[in-house]
Amino acid sequence: MGTTYIYKRDASRLFIALRENGKRFKIYIPKESQPVINGEEEDIDFVEQEDFHYAFDWKGKRYHCELVSRDQNKAVVKVNGVEYKFSLESLFSYIRHGMIDKDGKQIDENNIVAPMPGKIVDIFLSEGDLVNEGEPILSLEAMKMQNEISANCNGVIRKIRVQQGQSVMKDELLVEINSIDE
Amino acid sequence: MKKRLLIANRSEIAIRIIRSAHKLGMLAVVFQSDREPDALYLNYADEIIPARDAGNEKAIFLDAERIVELALEHNIDLIHPGYGFLSENPDFAELCVSNGINFIGPSPELIREMGLKTVAKSMAIKAGLPLVPGSDGAINDAEAAKAYADKIGYPVILKASAGGGGRGMRIVEKPETMERNFKSASEEALAAFDNGDMFIEKYLQNPKHLEFQIIGDKYGNVVHLGERECSLQRKHQKIMEEAPSASVTPEMRKEMGDMAIRFAKAIGYYSAGTIEFIMDEDRSYYFMEMNTRIQVEHPVTEMVTGVDLVDWQIRVALGEELTLKQEDIEIKGWAIECRVNTEDPQNRFSPQTGFIDKIYFPKDKDIRIESGVQTGSVVTPYFDSMIAKIIVHGKDRPDVIKKTLAALYEFNLIGMKTTVPFCRTVLQHPEFIDASYTTRWVDSVYTPEMLENDEDEMIGALAATIMYASEYLQLSSDLPTYKNDSLNVWVLNKRLNY
Repeated sequence: MGTTYIYKRDASRLFIALRENGKRFKIYIPKESQPVINGEEEDIDFVEQEDFHYAFDWKGKRYHCELVSRDQNKAVVKVNGVEYKFSLESLFSYIRHGMIDKDGKQIDENNIVAPMPGKIVDIFLSEGDLVNEGEPILSLEAMKMQNEISANCNGVIRKIRVQQGQSVMKDELLVEINSIDE
Repeated sequence: MKKRLLIANRSEIAIRIIRSAHKLGMLAVVFQSDREPDALYLNYADEIIPARDAGNEKAIFLDAERIVELALEHNIDLIHPGYGFLSENPDFAELCVSNGINFIGPSPELIREMGLKTVAKSMAIKAGLPLVPGSDGAINDAEAAKAYADKIGYPVILKASAGGGGRGMRIVEKPETMERNFKSASEEALAAFDNGDMFIEKYLQNPKHLEFQIIGDKYGNVVHLGERECSLQRKHQKIMEEAPSASVTPEMRKEMGDMAIRFAKAIGYYSAGTIEFIMDEDRSYYFMEMNTRIQVEHPVTEMVTGVDLVDWQIRVALGEELTLKQEDIEIKGWAIECRVNTEDPQNRFSPQTGFIDKIYFPKDKDIRIESGVQTGSVVTPYFDSMIAKIIVHGKDRPDVIKKTLAALYEFNLIGMKTTVPFCRTVLQHPEFIDASYTTRWVDSVYTPEMLENDEDEMIGALAATIMYASEYLQLSSDLPTYKNDSLNVWVLNKRLNY
């Protein structure tokens, strides 16, 4: 159907950078294309890399970055002479923290249930995969019709509760997703 | 034989003076201080005198006797003091003169007189310059102070006659608080200076700082080169300057310029000098003081007039007659200077020291860089934090603001923080753009959060993530499940394309 999804499968390439002012950046670094920041593919050119210094070109402007300090997952980066402090997490540690940390923003568990009774004919993704909102996860056959069941959010597939060939009842739990949306 | 010019200064101004010395066919001689033995300016000099000042309490640039002693030993003809250090020390000028060395600046007597504010002010009155309304003599009690304040209008400032350094000083907003303030200020003055005499002046709440550049010769010829606005200050230290000023109309420029010339002629001034004014919100202006040295911000005047002030300082000292005519002096376009100080604008401008791992300056025909450092230089705690100046010329004010901002985005220093992001913030602030900013801007408007912007923040997040991710993925590459598709592919692709 020609839809291109911004997140590819590899959830280990999605990171979350959190500033002390509460601002959150979800940064996906694909293998061979532009980085995806908060769901937008950004046309950022990497023009220089030397030890702890990076330079980027973005929208016609040069950005000089320097890693000032690093303590575990906390990093201070100087951008064009001004320091910004971030704490960094992989998607998995972020979700784990979200589960534990009651005060922090709860990562929703978005459950997908069968909209009608039928049979699972195909499962396209695996547990741990990154999934885009609207991206088909599995195919459910009912009344001789195949229905694609899609993700209702951007996130990572936590659990797939069904197997290929299995028959399901209406409202039966199919897939659990950890949303990465706000 | 070539004349030998000694520069009793360091850093960018030493290099600037060397340039003029060479242009005028002189040998440039500098001191090598043990406090920065590898300083950049040493590379430009024809001769270096080792100062051997490591064990001395004072760096060579502050040691008048030693400077003159070494100058005599090295057959120096002229001494240029630059700015700061001993540049406005009359005893140093006198020591040079009495030892037969040509001091590049006005006469020692004039330096002395202009250094005494009360003397300078009385000379200004004689020349017909306006002064901030205030009591001529001491005010004896709160009642008299109140009567005087009613006459000149509130707010007023009480100052200790013998004072300085802010002691015995009070700003009084309304008559009701006069008595209390007068009493405490007077007591403070008595304790500090053994003299409780007070005087009273009108207090300008939101002043602008304007200054007129003049140059005169030893034959009574004086011209002015227009004004500079230096309202952007922090703790009385200028950070950005511009020429001309948007607050000065052509009529005012003529009036104030004539005043500056009249004053310089009245006191018999020669060499380069600056007459400072303070301007109120209603554009009334008052004489503040005269600076008898070349100033840090002189390049903005040079950029808009095309006159080389340091050349002229030297030529006047040699007894040349001024060939500049007032009617030939034209202000062309607009110039802005940004001082690059190694200070952290995110943390109360605390000074930064260390190695400059890398420094990159913008380059363009309209950009002038005056730098005392290069990649690999050390910023020591012994001297001033100003390491360079970026001066930009444009066809008008909006044009120069735009160009300066672009130039500052090209500047890059790796190793420590500077005031450059601060200058960028200023250039984008509405009060700078509409030129309504005053000397209170840093205290009353500026917050460190203004340095941040969403674009930089996002790119910072990306940079931090890449650094973290490359490590994170490296870690997983050590695991047996590692697939050879490391993150660096994107990075490498990008690098290969450039």
